[in-house]
Amino acid sequence: MTPVEGSTLTTVAVVMVAYLGVLLFIGWRAAKRTHGGEDFHLAGRSLGAWSAGISSTASSESGWVTLGAVGMTFTYGISGLWYAPGCLLGYLVNVYLVAPRLRPLSADQGSITLTDVITRRWGDPKNVLRLTATTIILVCMMGYVAAQMTAAGKAFSSSLGLEGRSGYILGVVIGAAVIILVTSLGGFRAVAWTDLFQGLLVAIALIALPLYAIARLGGFGALVQGLGAIDPNFLSAGGGRLGPALWGFIIGQLGIGLGYPGMPHVITRYMAARDDHQVQRLQVIAMFWGVAVFYGAGLVGLAGRVMLPGLADGEQALMAMALQLVHPVLAGLLLAAVISAVLSTVSSQLLVAASAVSYDVVEKTLGKASDDRRSLVLGRWTVAVVGLLGILVALSEVRLVFWFVLFAWSGLGAAFAPLILLALLRRGVNRHGALAAMLTGTGVTVAWKLGRDAATNPEIFARVWWITLLAAAVILVLGQLTRAFDMADRIAVVAAASLTIISWWLVQQWGLYNLYELVPAFFLAGFAALAVSAITPISVEEASQ
Amino acid sequence: MEDYSLTLGAHLLLWAFPLVLVVLVIVEDLHDRLKPGSER
Repeated sequence: MTPVEGSTLTTVAVVMVAYLGVLLFIGWRAAKRTHGGEDFHLAGRSLGAWSAGISSTASSESGWVTLGAVGMTFTYGISGLWYAPGCLLGYLVNVYLVAPRLRPLSADQGSITLTDVITRRWGDPKNVLRLTATTIILVCMMGYVAAQMTAAGKAFSSSLGLEGRSGYILGVVIGAAVIILVTSLGGFRAVAWTDLFQGLLVAIALIALPLYAIARLGGFGALVQGLGAIDPNFLSAGGGRLGPALWGFIIGQLGIGLGYPGMPHVITRYMAARDDHQVQRLQVIAMFWGVAVFYGAGLVGLAGRVMLPGLADGEQALMAMALQLVHPVLAGLLLAAVISAVLSTVSSQLLVAASAVSYDVVEKTLGKASDDRRSLVLGRWTVAVVGLLGILVALSEVRLVFWFVLFAWSGLGAAFAPLILLALLRRGVNRHGALAAMLTGTGVTVAWKLGRDAATNPEIFARVWWITLLAAAVILVLGQLTRAFDMADRIAVVAAASLTIISWWLVQQWGLYNLYELVPAFFLAGFAALAVSAITPISVEEASQ
Repeated sequence: MEDYSLTLGAHLLLWAFPLVLVVLVIVEDLHDRLKPGSER
Protein backbone atom coordinates (compact mmCIF):
# COMPACT_ATOMS: atom_id res chain seq x y z
CA MET A 1 0.00 0.00 0.00
CA THR A 2 1.47 3.35 -1.00
CA PRO A 3 1.81 5.98 1.76
CA VAL A 4 -1.11 8.34 2.18
CA GLU A 5 -0.44 12.09 2.02
CA GLY A 6 -0.76 14.17 5.19
CA SER A 7 -3.29 16.55 3.62
CA THR A 8 -5.51 13.57 2.75
CA LEU A 9 -5.39 12.38 6.35
CA THR A 10 -6.31 15.86 7.60
CA THR A 11 -9.34 16.02 5.29
CA VAL A 12 -10.37 12.49 6.31
CA ALA A 13 -10.08 13.47 10.00
CA VAL A 14 -12.30 16.54 9.45
CA VAL A 15 -14.96 14.37 7.76
CA MET A 16 -14.69 11.88 10.61
CA VAL A 17 -15.27 14.56 13.25
CA ALA A 18 -18.30 15.84 11.30
CA TYR A 19 -19.65 12.27 11.17
CA LEU A 20 -19.32 11.92 14.95
CA GLY A 21 -21.07 15.28 15.30
CA VAL A 22 -24.03 13.96 13.28
CA LEU A 23 -24.26 10.91 15.57
CA LEU A 24 -24.28 13.12 18.67
CA PHE A 25 -26.93 15.40 17.15
CA ILE A 26 -29.18 12.42 16.36
CA GLY A 27 -28.68 11.10 19.90
CA TRP A 28 -29.64 14.46 21.38
CA ARG A 29 -32.81 14.67 19.22
CA ALA A 30 -33.79 11.13 20.23
CA ALA A 31 -33.13 11.85 23.91
CA LYS A 32 -35.67 14.69 23.82
CA ARG A 33 -38.35 12.20 22.77
CA THR A 34 -37.43 9.49 25.29
CA HIS A 35 -39.56 9.73 28.43
CA GLY A 36 -39.99 6.25 29.91
CA GLY A 37 -38.85 2.62 30.09
CA GLU A 38 -40.68 1.33 27.00
CA ASP A 39 -39.41 4.39 25.11
CA PHE A 40 -35.85 3.64 26.17
CA HIS A 41 -35.86 -0.13 25.52
CA LEU A 42 -38.17 -0.25 22.46
CA ALA A 43 -38.69 3.34 21.16
CA GLY A 44 -42.29 3.16 22.37
CA ARG A 45 -43.06 0.76 19.45
CA SER A 46 -43.07 3.77 17.15
CA LEU A 47 -40.50 3.00 14.43
CA GLY A 48 -41.36 3.55 10.78
CA ALA A 49 -40.41 1.14 8.00
CA TRP A 50 -37.11 2.83 7.11
CA SER A 51 -35.68 3.07 10.61
CA ALA A 52 -36.92 -0.40 11.62
CA GLY A 53 -35.77 -1.98 8.33
CA ILE A 54 -32.34 -0.40 7.96
CA SER A 55 -31.69 -0.56 11.70
CA SER A 56 -32.36 -4.31 11.73
CA THR A 57 -29.98 -4.97 8.85
CA ALA A 58 -27.27 -2.48 9.83
CA SER A 59 -27.25 -3.92 13.37
CA SER A 60 -26.74 -7.44 12.12
CA GLU A 61 -23.79 -6.58 9.85
CA SER A 62 -20.88 -5.46 11.97
CA GLY A 63 -17.50 -4.42 10.64
CA TRP A 64 -17.58 -7.88 9.09
CA VAL A 65 -19.40 -6.60 6.01
CA THR A 66 -16.94 -3.81 5.18
CA LEU A 67 -13.85 -5.74 6.27
CA GLY A 68 -14.41 -9.53 6.42
CA ALA A 69 -16.79 -9.91 3.47
CA VAL A 70 -14.53 -7.75 1.31
CA GLY A 71 -11.62 -9.94 2.37
CA MET A 72 -13.51 -13.11 1.38
CA THR A 73 -13.74 -12.26 -2.33
CA PHE A 74 -10.31 -10.59 -2.28
CA THR A 75 -8.86 -13.91 -1.08
CA TYR A 76 -11.08 -16.50 -2.81
CA GLY A 77 -12.45 -14.70 -5.87
CA ILE A 78 -16.10 -15.27 -6.81
CA SER A 79 -16.33 -18.42 -4.66
CA GLY A 80 -15.79 -16.14 -1.65
CA LEU A 81 -19.25 -14.73 -2.38
CA TRP A 82 -21.18 -17.70 -0.96
CA TYR A 83 -21.81 -15.75 2.24
CA ALA A 84 -24.19 -13.49 0.24
CA PRO A 85 -26.93 -16.09 -0.52
CA GLY A 86 -26.43 -17.43 3.03
CA CYS A 87 -27.06 -14.04 4.63
CA LEU A 88 -29.86 -13.10 2.21
CA LEU A 89 -31.71 -16.35 2.92
CA GLY A 90 -31.42 -15.41 6.61
CA TYR A 91 -32.90 -11.97 5.77
CA LEU A 92 -35.78 -13.68 3.90
CA VAL A 93 -36.66 -15.80 6.93
CA ASN A 94 -36.40 -12.80 9.24
CA VAL A 95 -38.47 -10.30 7.28
CA TYR A 96 -41.11 -12.65 5.81
CA LEU A 97 -41.54 -15.23 8.59
CA VAL A 98 -40.32 -13.66 11.84
CA ALA A 99 -41.16 -9.94 11.56
CA PRO A 100 -44.89 -10.19 10.60
CA ARG A 101 -45.54 -12.65 13.47
CA LEU A 102 -43.20 -11.26 16.10
CA ARG A 103 -44.47 -7.66 16.03
CA PRO A 104 -48.13 -8.44 16.86
CA LEU A 105 -47.15 -11.22 19.30
CA SER A 106 -44.80 -8.94 21.27
CA ALA A 107 -47.34 -6.09 21.24
CA ASP A 108 -50.08 -8.44 22.58
CA GLN A 109 -47.74 -9.80 25.23
CA GLY A 110 -46.36 -6.36 26.12
CA SER A 111 -42.87 -7.82 25.63
CA ILE A 112 -39.87 -5.48 25.60
CA THR A 113 -36.94 -7.86 24.98
CA LEU A 114 -36.32 -11.17 23.21
CA THR A 115 -36.13 -12.81 26.64
CA ASP A 116 -39.52 -11.32 27.45
CA VAL A 117 -41.02 -12.86 24.31
CA ILE A 118 -39.69 -16.31 25.23
CA THR A 119 -40.76 -16.19 28.89
CA ARG A 120 -44.24 -14.84 28.16
CA ARG A 121 -44.76 -17.28 25.32
CA TRP A 122 -44.24 -20.33 27.52
CA GLY A 123 -44.64 -19.04 31.08
CA ASP A 124 -41.68 -18.93 33.45
CA PRO A 125 -42.86 -19.10 37.07
CA LYS A 126 -39.36 -19.50 38.60
CA ASN A 127 -37.45 -17.25 36.12
CA VAL A 128 -35.51 -20.26 34.78
CA LEU A 129 -35.92 -19.28 31.11
CA ARG A 130 -35.33 -15.58 31.81
CA LEU A 131 -32.06 -16.11 33.67
CA THR A 132 -30.80 -18.71 31.19
CA ALA A 133 -31.53 -16.49 28.18
CA THR A 134 -30.13 -13.40 29.89
CA THR A 135 -26.88 -15.18 30.79
CA ILE A 136 -26.35 -16.39 27.20
CA ILE A 137 -27.15 -12.93 25.80
CA LEU A 138 -24.89 -11.11 28.26
CA VAL A 139 -21.88 -13.36 27.74
CA CYS A 140 -22.16 -13.24 23.94
CA MET A 141 -22.99 -9.53 23.77
CA MET A 142 -20.27 -8.32 26.13
CA GLY A 143 -17.62 -10.17 24.13
CA TYR A 144 -19.15 -8.87 20.91
CA VAL A 145 -19.26 -5.25 22.15
CA ALA A 146 -15.64 -5.35 23.33
CA ALA A 147 -14.44 -6.84 20.03
CA GLN A 148 -16.36 -4.23 18.01
CA MET A 149 -14.90 -1.46 20.17
CA THR A 150 -11.45 -2.84 19.36
CA ALA A 151 -12.28 -2.76 15.64
CA ALA A 152 -13.67 0.78 15.92
CA GLY A 153 -10.54 1.88 17.83
CA LYS A 154 -8.27 0.55 15.09
CA ALA A 155 -10.34 2.18 12.32
CA PHE A 156 -10.54 5.51 14.18
CA SER A 157 -6.86 5.65 15.05
CA SER A 158 -5.84 4.96 11.43
CA SER A 159 -8.33 7.43 9.92
CA LEU A 160 -7.60 10.21 12.45
CA GLY A 161 -3.86 9.73 12.04
CA LEU A 162 -3.37 8.62 15.68
CA GLU A 163 -0.30 6.43 16.02
CA GLY A 164 0.98 3.72 18.35
CA ARG A 165 -0.60 2.21 21.45
CA SER A 166 -1.74 5.61 22.75
CA GLY A 167 -3.37 6.32 19.36
CA TYR A 168 -5.24 3.03 19.57
CA ILE A 169 -6.42 3.74 23.13
CA LEU A 170 -7.59 7.20 22.08
CA GLY A 171 -9.38 5.68 19.06
CA VAL A 172 -11.24 3.15 21.25
CA VAL A 173 -12.18 5.82 23.78
CA ILE A 174 -13.43 8.33 21.17
CA GLY A 175 -15.60 5.80 19.32
CA ALA A 176 -16.92 4.17 22.49
CA ALA A 177 -17.58 7.47 24.29
CA VAL A 178 -19.73 8.80 21.43
CA ILE A 179 -21.70 5.56 21.20
CA ILE A 180 -22.21 5.27 24.98
CA LEU A 181 -23.38 8.88 25.17
CA VAL A 182 -25.78 8.53 22.22
CA THR A 183 -27.17 5.19 23.42
CA SER A 184 -27.58 6.13 27.08
CA LEU A 185 -29.31 9.41 26.28
CA GLY A 186 -31.58 8.38 23.43
CA GLY A 187 -31.95 4.62 24.06
CA PHE A 188 -33.55 2.47 21.36
CA ARG A 189 -34.77 5.45 19.33
CA ALA A 190 -31.27 6.95 19.12
CA VAL A 191 -29.83 3.57 18.16
CA ALA A 192 -32.44 3.08 15.42
CA TRP A 193 -32.02 6.59 14.01
CA THR A 194 -28.21 6.46 14.03
CA ASP A 195 -28.46 2.99 12.46
CA LEU A 196 -30.60 4.45 9.67
CA PHE A 197 -28.04 7.18 8.99
CA GLN A 198 -25.11 4.79 9.19
CA GLY A 199 -26.84 1.99 7.28
CA LEU A 200 -27.56 4.32 4.38
CA LEU A 201 -23.94 5.51 4.44
CA VAL A 202 -22.71 1.90 4.26
CA ALA A 203 -25.11 1.08 1.39
CA ILE A 204 -24.15 4.16 -0.64
CA ALA A 205 -20.45 3.44 -0.12
CA LEU A 206 -20.81 -0.20 -1.14
CA ILE A 207 -22.80 0.67 -4.26
CA ALA A 208 -20.70 3.63 -5.40
CA LEU A 209 -17.16 2.37 -4.72
CA PRO A 210 -17.33 -0.88 -6.73
CA LEU A 211 -19.07 0.85 -9.64
CA TYR A 212 -16.35 3.50 -9.72
CA ALA A 213 -13.56 0.96 -9.32
CA ILE A 214 -14.89 -1.35 -12.05
CA ALA A 215 -15.33 1.62 -14.41
CA ARG A 216 -11.74 2.64 -13.71
CA LEU A 217 -10.54 -0.87 -14.46
CA GLY A 218 -12.18 -0.59 -17.89
CA GLY A 219 -15.48 -2.37 -17.26
CA PHE A 220 -16.65 -5.73 -15.99
CA GLY A 221 -14.88 -7.60 -18.79
CA ALA A 222 -11.55 -6.13 -17.68
CA LEU A 223 -12.30 -7.18 -14.08
CA VAL A 224 -12.94 -10.77 -15.22
CA GLN A 225 -9.75 -10.81 -17.30
CA GLY A 226 -7.75 -9.37 -14.41
CA LEU A 227 -9.07 -11.95 -11.95
CA GLY A 228 -8.52 -14.83 -14.39
CA ALA A 229 -4.92 -13.72 -14.95
CA ILE A 230 -4.25 -13.87 -11.19
CA ASP A 231 -5.94 -17.26 -10.73
CA PRO A 232 -8.46 -18.93 -13.10
CA ASN A 233 -10.16 -20.49 -10.03
CA PHE A 234 -11.29 -16.97 -9.05
CA LEU A 235 -13.88 -17.19 -11.84
CA SER A 236 -15.71 -20.31 -10.65
CA ALA A 237 -18.32 -20.77 -7.91
CA GLY A 238 -16.31 -23.61 -6.35
CA GLY A 239 -12.97 -21.82 -6.43
CA GLY A 240 -11.16 -25.05 -7.31
CA ARG A 241 -12.47 -26.93 -4.28
CA LEU A 242 -13.75 -30.46 -4.88
CA GLY A 243 -15.92 -33.06 -3.11
CA PRO A 244 -16.47 -32.78 0.65
CA ALA A 245 -14.28 -29.66 0.94
CA LEU A 246 -16.54 -27.87 -1.56
CA TRP A 247 -19.81 -28.93 0.11
CA GLY A 248 -18.49 -28.23 3.60
CA PHE A 249 -17.52 -24.74 2.48
CA ILE A 250 -20.85 -24.00 0.77
CA ILE A 251 -23.00 -25.43 3.61
CA GLY A 252 -20.95 -23.47 6.15
CA GLN A 253 -21.34 -20.20 4.23
CA LEU A 254 -25.07 -20.75 3.69
CA GLY A 255 -25.33 -21.74 7.35
CA ILE A 256 -24.40 -18.20 8.45
CA GLY A 257 -27.98 -17.28 7.57
CA LEU A 258 -29.44 -19.69 10.14
CA GLY A 259 -28.38 -17.31 12.91
CA TYR A 260 -30.43 -14.26 11.94
CA PRO A 261 -33.75 -15.13 13.67
CA GLY A 262 -31.87 -15.55 16.96
CA MET A 263 -30.09 -12.19 17.09
CA PRO A 264 -31.74 -10.14 19.86
CA HIS A 265 -30.31 -6.86 18.53
CA VAL A 266 -31.91 -7.57 15.13
CA ILE A 267 -35.36 -8.94 15.87
CA THR A 268 -36.18 -6.33 18.54
CA ARG A 269 -36.35 -3.88 15.58
CA TYR A 270 -39.38 -5.76 14.29
CA MET A 271 -40.97 -5.56 17.75
CA ALA A 272 -40.47 -1.78 17.70
CA ALA A 273 -42.21 -1.26 14.32
CA ARG A 274 -45.29 0.94 14.59
CA ASP A 275 -47.79 -1.38 12.88
CA ASP A 276 -48.13 -4.26 10.38
CA HIS A 277 -48.05 -1.86 7.45
CA GLN A 278 -44.52 -0.72 8.47
CA VAL A 279 -43.46 -4.37 8.65
CA GLN A 280 -44.68 -4.98 5.09
CA ARG A 281 -42.73 -1.96 3.84
CA LEU A 282 -39.57 -2.84 5.74
CA GLN A 283 -39.45 -6.22 3.98
CA VAL A 284 -38.57 -4.58 0.66
CA ILE A 285 -36.21 -2.04 2.25
CA ALA A 286 -34.27 -4.69 4.18
CA MET A 287 -33.95 -7.04 1.19
CA PHE A 288 -32.72 -4.30 -1.15
CA TRP A 289 -30.23 -3.09 1.46
CA GLY A 290 -28.97 -6.65 1.88
CA VAL A 291 -28.49 -7.29 -1.83
CA ALA A 292 -26.72 -3.94 -2.33
CA VAL A 293 -24.42 -4.31 0.66
CA PHE A 294 -23.45 -7.99 0.34
CA TYR A 295 -22.85 -7.89 -3.40
CA GLY A 296 -21.27 -4.42 -3.16
CA ALA A 297 -18.80 -5.71 -0.57
CA GLY A 298 -18.07 -8.74 -2.76
CA LEU A 299 -17.40 -6.56 -5.81
CA VAL A 300 -15.11 -4.26 -3.77
CA GLY A 301 -13.05 -7.32 -2.84
CA LEU A 302 -12.87 -8.53 -6.47
CA ALA A 303 -11.96 -5.10 -7.84
CA GLY A 304 -9.47 -4.59 -5.00
CA ARG A 305 -7.71 -7.84 -5.87
CA VAL A 306 -7.06 -6.63 -9.42
CA MET A 307 -6.30 -2.98 -8.56
CA LEU A 308 -4.16 -3.57 -5.45
CA PRO A 309 -2.41 -6.91 -6.06
CA GLY A 310 0.31 -6.06 -3.51
CA LEU A 311 -2.11 -5.55 -0.62
CA ALA A 312 -1.18 -8.06 2.09
CA ASP A 313 -4.48 -8.04 4.02
CA GLY A 314 -7.62 -8.36 1.87
CA GLU A 315 -9.79 -7.08 4.72
CA GLN A 316 -8.15 -3.67 4.30
CA ALA A 317 -9.13 -3.47 0.60
CA LEU A 318 -12.00 -1.02 1.03
CA MET A 319 -9.98 1.37 3.17
CA ALA A 320 -6.95 1.14 0.89
CA MET A 321 -9.06 1.80 -2.21
CA ALA A 322 -10.78 4.73 -0.50
CA LEU A 323 -7.49 6.38 0.41
CA GLN A 324 -5.85 5.77 -2.96
CA LEU A 325 -8.62 6.12 -5.53
CA VAL A 326 -10.98 8.93 -4.62
CA HIS A 327 -11.00 12.56 -3.43
CA PRO A 328 -10.07 12.91 0.27
CA VAL A 329 -13.59 14.09 1.21
CA LEU A 330 -15.10 10.97 -0.40
CA ALA A 331 -12.35 8.87 1.19
CA GLY A 332 -13.42 10.30 4.56
CA LEU A 333 -17.03 9.34 3.86
CA LEU A 334 -16.00 5.83 2.82
CA LEU A 335 -13.97 5.41 6.00
CA ALA A 336 -16.91 6.78 7.98
CA ALA A 337 -18.96 4.03 6.30
CA VAL A 338 -16.47 1.39 7.47
CA ILE A 339 -16.73 2.71 11.03
CA SER A 340 -20.51 3.09 10.68
CA ALA A 341 -20.85 -0.63 10.05
CA VAL A 342 -19.02 -1.23 13.33
CA LEU A 343 -20.69 1.42 15.48
CA SER A 344 -24.25 0.66 14.35
CA THR A 345 -23.72 -2.88 15.65
CA VAL A 346 -21.98 -1.75 18.86
CA SER A 347 -24.82 0.59 19.84
CA SER A 348 -27.47 -2.07 19.19
CA GLN A 349 -25.60 -4.73 21.13
CA LEU A 350 -24.81 -2.34 23.95
CA LEU A 351 -28.50 -1.61 24.34
CA VAL A 352 -29.42 -5.31 24.26
CA ALA A 353 -26.82 -6.06 26.96
CA ALA A 354 -28.04 -3.13 29.05
CA SER A 355 -31.71 -4.14 28.60
CA ALA A 356 -30.79 -7.67 29.70
CA VAL A 357 -29.35 -6.30 32.95
CA SER A 358 -31.70 -3.42 33.74
CA TYR A 359 -34.99 -4.83 32.40
CA ASP A 360 -34.69 -8.62 32.55
CA VAL A 361 -32.65 -8.94 35.74
CA VAL A 362 -33.25 -5.83 37.88
CA GLU A 363 -36.85 -5.03 36.89
CA LYS A 364 -38.33 -8.43 36.09
CA THR A 365 -36.34 -10.95 38.16
CA LEU A 366 -35.59 -8.78 41.20
CA GLY A 367 -38.81 -6.75 40.90
CA LYS A 368 -37.15 -3.30 41.27
CA ALA A 369 -37.78 0.01 39.48
CA SER A 370 -41.31 -0.72 38.41
CA ASP A 371 -42.29 2.85 37.55
CA ASP A 372 -41.56 4.21 34.10
CA ARG A 373 -39.31 7.10 35.11
CA ARG A 374 -37.05 4.95 37.31
CA SER A 375 -36.90 2.35 34.55
CA LEU A 376 -35.56 5.02 32.16
CA VAL A 377 -32.90 6.24 34.62
CA LEU A 378 -31.87 2.67 35.39
CA GLY A 379 -31.60 1.88 31.66
CA ARG A 380 -29.40 4.93 31.03
CA TRP A 381 -27.00 4.14 33.86
CA THR A 382 -26.79 0.50 32.85
CA VAL A 383 -25.80 1.44 29.29
CA ALA A 384 -23.05 3.67 30.71
CA VAL A 385 -21.73 0.97 33.05
CA VAL A 386 -21.91 -1.84 30.46
CA GLY A 387 -20.24 0.45 27.91
CA LEU A 388 -17.40 1.31 30.29
CA LEU A 389 -16.91 -2.39 31.00
CA GLY A 390 -16.74 -2.93 27.23
CA ILE A 391 -14.00 -0.27 26.96
CA LEU A 392 -12.01 -1.88 29.79
CA VAL A 393 -12.24 -5.32 28.16
CA ALA A 394 -11.32 -3.86 24.75
CA LEU A 395 -8.27 -2.11 26.19
CA SER A 396 -7.11 -5.02 28.32
CA GLU A 397 -7.62 -7.40 25.34
CA VAL A 398 -8.65 -10.33 27.56
CA ARG A 399 -7.91 -13.33 25.38
CA LEU A 400 -10.79 -15.49 26.60
CA VAL A 401 -13.33 -12.84 25.65
CA PHE A 402 -12.04 -12.52 22.12
CA TRP A 403 -11.92 -16.25 21.73
CA PHE A 404 -15.58 -16.35 22.77
CA VAL A 405 -16.54 -13.68 20.25
CA LEU A 406 -15.61 -16.08 17.49
CA PHE A 407 -18.74 -18.02 18.25
CA ALA A 408 -20.95 -15.21 19.56
CA TRP A 409 -22.88 -15.29 16.27
CA SER A 410 -23.30 -19.05 16.21
CA GLY A 411 -23.94 -19.20 19.98
CA LEU A 412 -26.78 -16.66 19.84
CA GLY A 413 -28.07 -18.11 16.58
CA ALA A 414 -28.19 -21.69 17.85
CA ALA A 415 -29.59 -20.79 21.28
CA PHE A 416 -32.39 -18.54 20.04
CA ALA A 417 -33.08 -18.90 16.30
CA PRO A 418 -34.74 -22.36 16.43
CA LEU A 419 -36.63 -21.28 19.54
CA ILE A 420 -37.97 -18.06 18.00
CA LEU A 421 -39.02 -19.93 14.85
CA LEU A 422 -40.76 -22.60 16.93
CA ALA A 423 -42.40 -19.92 19.11
CA LEU A 424 -43.83 -18.18 16.07
CA LEU A 425 -44.57 -21.04 13.72
CA ARG A 426 -45.42 -24.11 15.75
CA ARG A 427 -47.36 -25.30 18.74
CA GLY A 428 -46.29 -28.30 20.79
CA VAL A 429 -43.18 -26.84 22.43
CA ASN A 430 -43.27 -26.18 26.19
CA ARG A 431 -40.99 -24.24 28.54
CA HIS A 432 -38.87 -27.30 29.31
CA GLY A 433 -38.29 -27.77 25.58
CA ALA A 434 -37.37 -24.09 25.35
CA LEU A 435 -34.81 -24.52 28.15
CA ALA A 436 -33.37 -27.61 26.44
CA ALA A 437 -33.07 -25.72 23.12
CA MET A 438 -31.15 -22.80 24.62
CA LEU A 439 -28.74 -25.06 26.52
CA THR A 440 -28.28 -27.46 23.60
CA GLY A 441 -27.68 -24.63 21.11
CA THR A 442 -25.01 -23.10 23.33
CA GLY A 443 -23.41 -26.42 24.33
CA VAL A 444 -23.18 -27.85 20.80
CA THR A 445 -21.82 -24.56 19.48
CA VAL A 446 -19.02 -24.56 22.06
CA ALA A 447 -18.21 -28.27 21.57
CA TRP A 448 -18.21 -28.07 17.76
CA LYS A 449 -16.21 -24.86 17.69
CA LEU A 450 -13.60 -26.46 19.96
CA GLY A 451 -13.55 -29.35 17.50
CA ARG A 452 -12.86 -26.93 14.66
CA ASP A 453 -9.98 -25.51 16.70
CA ALA A 454 -8.75 -29.01 17.70
CA ALA A 455 -5.70 -28.78 15.46
CA THR A 456 -4.37 -25.86 17.51
CA ASN A 457 -5.82 -26.78 20.89
CA PRO A 458 -6.43 -30.54 21.14
CA GLU A 459 -6.24 -30.73 24.97
CA ILE A 460 -9.37 -28.65 25.59
CA PHE A 461 -11.34 -30.48 22.89
CA ALA A 462 -10.45 -33.85 24.45
CA ARG A 463 -11.95 -32.63 27.76
CA VAL A 464 -15.29 -31.48 26.33
CA TRP A 465 -17.23 -34.52 27.61
CA TRP A 466 -16.40 -34.02 31.27
CA ILE A 467 -16.55 -30.19 31.09
CA THR A 468 -20.11 -30.64 29.75
CA LEU A 469 -20.98 -33.05 32.57
CA LEU A 470 -19.52 -30.62 35.11
CA ALA A 471 -21.48 -27.69 33.65
CA ALA A 472 -24.70 -29.76 33.71
CA ALA A 473 -24.03 -30.73 37.34
CA VAL A 474 -23.47 -27.08 38.33
CA ILE A 475 -26.73 -26.05 36.62
CA LEU A 476 -28.64 -28.89 38.32
CA VAL A 477 -27.22 -28.01 41.75
CA LEU A 478 -28.06 -24.32 41.23
CA GLY A 479 -31.60 -25.29 40.20
CA GLN A 480 -31.87 -27.48 43.31
CA LEU A 481 -30.51 -24.86 45.73
CA THR A 482 -32.82 -22.13 44.40
CA ARG A 483 -35.74 -24.62 44.19
CA ALA A 484 -36.33 -23.36 40.65
CA PHE A 485 -36.15 -26.72 38.87
CA ASP A 486 -38.83 -29.36 38.64
CA MET A 487 -38.24 -32.85 37.23
CA ALA A 488 -38.97 -31.72 33.65
CA ASP A 489 -36.33 -28.98 33.90
CA ARG A 490 -33.79 -31.57 35.05
CA ILE A 491 -34.70 -33.72 32.04
CA ALA A 492 -34.09 -30.67 29.81
CA VAL A 493 -30.60 -30.11 31.30
CA VAL A 494 -29.67 -33.80 30.97
CA ALA A 495 -30.94 -33.86 27.36
CA ALA A 496 -28.88 -30.78 26.47
CA ALA A 497 -25.74 -32.25 28.05
CA SER A 498 -26.31 -35.57 26.24
CA LEU A 499 -26.77 -33.90 22.85
CA THR A 500 -23.64 -31.80 23.43
CA ILE A 501 -21.55 -34.88 24.22
CA ILE A 502 -23.07 -36.78 21.26
CA SER A 503 -22.17 -33.90 18.93
CA TRP A 504 -18.63 -33.85 20.34
CA TRP A 505 -18.39 -37.58 19.60
CA LEU A 506 -19.85 -37.14 16.10
CA VAL A 507 -17.32 -34.43 15.18
CA GLN A 508 -14.56 -36.98 15.76
CA GLN A 509 -16.32 -40.04 14.31
CA TRP A 510 -17.30 -38.35 11.06
CA GLY A 511 -14.29 -36.03 10.84
CA LEU A 512 -16.56 -32.99 10.51
CA TYR A 513 -13.92 -30.57 11.75
CA ASN A 514 -14.55 -28.09 8.95
CA LEU A 515 -18.34 -27.82 9.24
CA TYR A 516 -19.48 -24.45 10.63
CA GLU A 517 -20.79 -25.12 14.15
CA LEU A 518 -24.04 -23.17 13.73
CA VAL A 519 -25.42 -25.76 11.28
CA PRO A 520 -25.42 -28.80 13.63
CA ALA A 521 -26.11 -26.64 16.73
CA PHE A 522 -29.20 -25.05 15.13
CA PHE A 523 -30.77 -28.37 14.15
CA LEU A 524 -29.88 -30.16 17.40
CA ALA A 525 -31.35 -27.27 19.43
CA GLY A 526 -34.58 -27.51 17.42
CA PHE A 527 -34.61 -31.28 17.94
CA ALA A 528 -34.04 -30.81 21.68
CA ALA A 529 -37.00 -28.42 21.92
CA LEU A 530 -39.35 -30.86 20.21
CA ALA A 531 -38.06 -34.02 21.89
CA VAL A 532 -38.04 -32.64 25.44
CA SER A 533 -41.48 -31.07 24.93
CA ALA A 534 -42.82 -34.44 23.77
CA ILE A 535 -41.74 -36.25 26.94
CA THR A 536 -42.42 -33.55 29.56
CA PRO A 537 -45.80 -32.27 30.78
CA ILE A 538 -47.32 -29.00 29.62
CA SER A 539 -47.88 -26.46 32.42
CA VAL A 540 -51.19 -24.87 33.38
CA GLU A 541 -50.04 -21.45 32.10
CA GLU A 542 -48.97 -22.91 28.77
CA ALA A 543 -52.19 -24.84 28.36
CA SER A 544 -54.13 -21.60 28.79
CA GLN A 545 -52.21 -19.83 25.99
CA MET B 1 -3.22 -13.54 -24.22
CA GLU B 2 -5.63 -16.07 -22.76
CA ASP B 3 -9.30 -15.05 -22.68
CA TYR B 4 -11.01 -15.77 -19.38
CA SER B 5 -14.72 -16.08 -18.65
CA LEU B 6 -16.99 -16.83 -15.71
CA THR B 7 -18.20 -20.40 -15.25
CA LEU B 8 -21.95 -21.13 -15.20
CA GLY B 9 -21.89 -21.51 -11.41
CA ALA B 10 -20.17 -18.13 -11.07
CA HIS B 11 -22.85 -16.50 -13.26
CA LEU B 12 -25.56 -18.04 -11.08
CA LEU B 13 -23.88 -16.92 -7.85
CA LEU B 14 -22.94 -13.45 -9.03
CA TRP B 15 -25.95 -12.37 -11.12
CA ALA B 16 -28.79 -14.85 -11.29
CA PHE B 17 -29.39 -15.32 -7.56
CA PRO B 18 -29.62 -11.64 -6.57
CA LEU B 19 -31.64 -10.82 -9.70
CA VAL B 20 -34.22 -13.55 -9.04
CA LEU B 21 -34.37 -12.53 -5.38
CA VAL B 22 -35.00 -8.86 -6.17
CA VAL B 23 -37.71 -9.77 -8.71
CA LEU B 24 -39.44 -12.06 -6.18
CA VAL B 25 -39.34 -9.35 -3.50
CA ILE B 26 -40.88 -6.80 -5.88
CA VAL B 27 -43.57 -9.28 -7.03
CA GLU B 28 -44.44 -10.14 -3.42
CA ASP B 29 -44.71 -6.45 -2.56
CA LEU B 30 -46.93 -5.73 -5.58
CA HIS B 31 -49.07 -8.75 -4.67
CA ASP B 32 -49.52 -7.30 -1.16
CA ARG B 33 -50.43 -3.89 -2.54
CA LEU B 34 -52.97 -5.22 -5.05
CA LYS B 35 -54.59 -7.70 -2.66
CA PRO B 36 -58.31 -6.93 -2.21
CA GLY B 37 -58.93 -5.49 1.25
CA SER B 38 -55.31 -4.42 1.63
CA GLU B 39 -54.90 -1.43 3.94
CA ARG B 40 -52.41 0.15 1.54
